[in-house]
Amino acid sequence: MRVLIYKTAKQCLLLRFTDDTFDPELAATIGVDFKVKTISVDGNKAKLAIWDTAGQERFRTLTPSYYRGAQGVILVYDVTRRDTFVKLDNWLNELETYCTRNDIVKMLVGNKIDKENREVDRNEGLKFARKHSMLFIEASAKTCDGVQCAFEELVEKIIQTPGLWESESQNRGVKLSNKEEGYGGGGACGGYCSML
Amino acid sequence: MADTAAPPPAVPAPGLPAAPGSNPLSRKLNKILETRLDNDKEMLEALKALSTFFVENSLRTRRNLRGDIERRSLAINEEFVHIFKQVKEELESINEDVQAMSSCCEDMSSRLKAAKEQTQDLIVKTTKLQAENQRLEMKAQVADAFIAKFQLTPDEMNLLRGTKDEPITEAFFKALGRVKQIHDDVKILLRTNQQRAGLEIMEQMALLQETSYERLYRWTQNECRTLTQESCDISPVLAQAMEALQDRPVLYKYTLDEFGTARRSAVVRGFIDALTRGGLGGTPRPIEMHSHDPLRYVGDMLAWLHQATASEKEHLEAMLKLVTVQGVEENIQEVVGHITEGVCRPLKVRIEQVIVAEPGAVLLYKISNLLKFYHHTISGIVGNSAATLLTTIEEMHLLSKKIFFNSLSLHASKLMDKVELPPPDLGPSSALNQTLNLLREVLASHDSSVVPLDARQADFVQVLSCVLDPLLQMCTMSASNLGTADMATFMVNSLYMMRTTLALFEFTDKRLEMLQFQIEAHLDTLINEQASYVLTRAGLSYIYNSVQQHKPEQGPLSNLPSMDSVALKVAMAQFDRYLSAPDSLLMSQLNFLLSATVKEQIIKQSTELVCRAYSELYAAVMDPSNEYKDPETILHRSPHQVQALLS
Repeated sequence: MRVLIYKTAKQCLLLRFTDDTFDPELAATIGVDFKVKTISVDGNKAKLAIWDTAGQERFRTLTPSYYRGAQGVILVYDVTRRDTFVKLDNWLNELETYCTRNDIVKMLVGNKIDKENREVDRNEGLKFARKHSMLFIEASAKTCDGVQCAFEELVEKIIQTPGLWESESQNRGVKLSNKEEGYGGGGACGGYCSML
Repeated sequence: MADTAAPPPAVPAPGLPAAPGSNPLSRKLNKILETRLDNDKEMLEALKALSTFFVENSLRTRRNLRGDIERRSLAINEEFVHIFKQVKEELESINEDVQAMSSCCEDMSSRLKAAKEQTQDLIVKTTKLQAENQRLEMKAQVADAFIAKFQLTPDEMNLLRGTKDEPITEAFFKALGRVKQIHDDVKILLRTNQQRAGLEIMEQMALLQETSYERLYRWTQNECRTLTQESCDISPVLAQAMEALQDRPVLYKYTLDEFGTARRSAVVRGFIDALTRGGLGGTPRPIEMHSHDPLRYVGDMLAWLHQATASEKEHLEAMLKLVTVQGVEENIQEVVGHITEGVCRPLKVRIEQVIVAEPGAVLLYKISNLLKFYHHTISGIVGNSAATLLTTIEEMHLLSKKIFFNSLSLHASKLMDKVELPPPDLGPSSALNQTLNLLREVLASHDSSVVPLDARQADFVQVLSCVLDPLLQMCTMSASNLGTADMATFMVNSLYMMRTTLALFEFTDKRLEMLQFQIEAHLDTLINEQASYVLTRAGLSYIYNSVQQHKPEQGPLSNLPSMDSVALKVAMAQFDRYLSAPDSLLMSQLNFLLSATVKEQIIKQSTELVCRAYSELYAAVMDPSNEYKDPETILHRSPHQVQALLS
């Protein structure tokens, strides 16, 4: 399962999720970062390939190429900086242009809720998310609040979306822990039908 | 019936009167009277008994008493006999029983004795056998322990041997671990006197190990061969298999090779699919759909490869996570390099197509930067090993850079081919503007390049020299037929354009400095030109020349032709006109200058030159050796005044 993270500001969300660490001095991402994590959702194990794209302007020409094959996208903005919230429209436009898949699951994350001087409040974020049919959650990579939740919700939604998850699995069996089902169901049936 | 209670006196005491007792009757009477019946327990008892049956005291009964008593006594005796008889009988029966028991006992003891004698042997044998049994049990325990420690259970053996198609499970590894353990443990035996056993077991275990490894290898090899889907799942058993195989470096390596080969074809297929077919159901679209947009096309391909490389590395890491042998990291990088080798040709072909189609200098530059960036990013994954993918990307990077510079040079040489005359407004020519636009675009993409800083700087210098040098040449050449002021103006304008273009970008300091020097050189020219223009129009040029070239041998200045007071006065009138409206004497070229600052600078400095010329003239006129009469009437104003008027 491929998930893309977009940031309009420097964020440490990915590290918090995969390694459960937080480093406020973390250098900004160069280009694109890659991490893998297996999480359990509803008793199913899902292996996530997470692509963390840089927030800086000069990497913006790179990032659209990574939309391919992504089943989920996480857009992250900083609740203490309004400009990062405003930029979201641009990102969404780009996403719509380059992402060739209509049913991709989108999630909006308002990060850094541990900080004071919030400039974007929750309702605004929620409204924006609703308007663009996105999931919404607020989180803080520093305090760990909501990070795990965010990824779990996203994975759940992806699994639930018909065609998004299963289309990947037809060829090779489901990436869930219960292998037999996958092999028995998808592969065998397909083979038989084609012979007829 | 004798009483013994009172001893009868044997002899009556002499001297006593014949007591009434000396008479046998009285003796008897006394005796009777002396009987103390109370003290005679027996008598009491007898009397008590008597009173039970003797109820009537008559003569007859007294006489019969003896007979009664005897009869009673007889009866009692009879009763006694009777009862005693019963007792006797009981006793006799008891006696019989006891006799019987006794005989029984005797019987038994004699039998026991007989049996004992018979079983004596048996007991001895049994005891011996029991002792033997215990010894044997002890031996059995030892043997069991030995087997448990130094041999495999039949189950374990079956696991290790297995049938051909049985999959390898966790239990297999446990058994394998046991084999190794036994092999190690058995060395102890070699130190004891059980050497033969030790050696045999070692050999047995070694053999078993080899066959197990062989089986494991075949199974792992097979597993690897099946990992041909685009995204593969590395099962934990596979990871364990690799951990076990690390002890057999050759098998380990072959397995990795097998894996690499399988994944390699999967990656190539995936790449081609992504290029031509896109995802399932048509989304995402095939990459080649965007081949008209070179930057996006190349970017998409490289991004796909980046993702694939990272995924493969991750698969390998999952597979080898339990391996503790040295150099795993290098192995992984090597294998990933091998896996990605397959896509090099399709990639190269397509990128070459893009580059050779000459999409324009700016795009080429962007593409070259993109390639450099991905080279850097992907080498983060495959290391700096000579991975073919990296060399391919590097090749493409160099190619695109080369074509880019070719394109720039071509553009530059085209400039030189058609050197035009400068436009009438002495401003930058269209060729210059075009070239500067090109440069600006290239530099702008350079600034937002994703390549790290140090790599950018080297390119920069090359780009600048590729463009700026020919440009300067072109300007110089096209201005070569112009008059001095025109040329200077044109050059200043052109250089100024170049400078403002460059000033926006980083790393341009040296060039900016150079351009500034050149501008200043032309400025000097313009300043001089402007000053002469003024002096000429103000009528002072001949006069000033004369002053400058005047030598004392020539005599006083006033005697030189057209240097007399009249001529000077005329000139001064003209000069005055100038002083009243200095702005009227500006070269037209100055109005063509793009930079107001430059224009002001020229005016200011040329005015200073004019002032200085006037001062010199003034000094010469005031000099008595030049024999001007009433010089203050010729030159009304002092140099100070002139300066004040002109500032």
